[in-house]
Amino acid sequence: MATRSRPVSSEFLFFKAMALFVFWIFLSASFEWVHLGLGLIFSFVVAWLNSGHSPFVPKFRLWLRVLLYLPWLFYKIVQSSLNLSKLILHPELPITPQLIPVKSKLRHHAAVVLFGNSITLTPGTITAEVDGNNLIIHSMDKSDDAAIKEIESKIADIFKDEEPDL
Amino acid sequence: MKTFLFCVLVLLAILIGAYLYRVLQGPTIFDRLLGHNGISTKAIILLLVIGIYFERVDMFIDISIGYALLNLVGALALAKYLEQKETL
Amino acid sequence: MQILSVIFISVGLFFLIVAAIGVIRLPDVFSRSHAVSLTDSLGAFLMLVGIALHEGLGTNMLKILIVLALLYILNPVIAHATIRAALRSGLKPWEKENS
Repeated sequence: MATRSRPVSSEFLFFKAMALFVFWIFLSASFEWVHLGLGLIFSFVVAWLNSGHSPFVPKFRLWLRVLLYLPWLFYKIVQSSLNLSKLILHPELPITPQLIPVKSKLRHHAAVVLFGNSITLTPGTITAEVDGNNLIIHSMDKSDDAAIKEIESKIADIFKDEEPDL
Repeated sequence: MKTFLFCVLVLLAILIGAYLYRVLQGPTIFDRLLGHNGISTKAIILLLVIGIYFERVDMFIDISIGYALLNLVGALALAKYLEQKETL
Repeated sequence: MQILSVIFISVGLFFLIVAAIGVIRLPDVFSRSHAVSLTDSLGAFLMLVGIALHEGLGTNMLKILIVLALLYILNPVIAHATIRAALRSGLKPWEKENS
């Protein structure tokens, strides 16, 4: 067994096991006692095996904010998809591809991950390289610069209450 | 409904042909990798449409979940491997 | 419900066709990857929502939504890995000649 770097709270282990158990129920979709019991045992085993490496505590308020951020992101995805479709179907192909170096003002690992993932998920911009909080972004159109700034300020707003760790 | 689903299946197969052209033709190896990724996304959708065409979604959906997970591992391993190569 | 699902699948199919045209037409790896991500985000979303509406409420719908969440989490990772590999191996992005 690997050495544990930090003590594991039993509440967190229970929470993780319950999340895994709900996922098991979704996947198996059967409510016989044998299946439910096996799922309970396996979810506790997996939660215990994984508990050594996670420096992670549940932050419900942050997760709620991220959940509220997702519909806005989906609106941006629809907008830029229509823009990109117009560019592709245009007979003269008026694209201006370029690499944009961005130095973000985000101070959290999770925030940078969320930022890069949102940029890659939005069609027309893609994250090409990440180092700390310096990102290199490949974009398709001139107008994508403003969209990146907008996403960044939105994410900085989500993470404004947390301890900086970058 | 059946005929509509059949048309969707045929169109998806033709689209997979377009990505296959990119895989066979692509100037660099990353084009081929990209085409592979596109084909696997199409294959997930194709499996689900086949599922509702034959009215056995409960069986095909498990296959598509497994396919999505395997696709991640394969594409990520290939990309990490090609990153280390100096010459193409 | 059936009509709604037919509409969703048709619009999703339109985006898939646009993405396939883009994959053939665009000039280099970096811009082609935008076309592939267009498929992954909006086309797959509309297709899978159409299929889920056709199935109706139940465990099948939940599983289709799990497939959708997997696609949304995993596809940016794959696209980023491919593009980073292309950039690190020394490929230059295509630019317009007359600009």
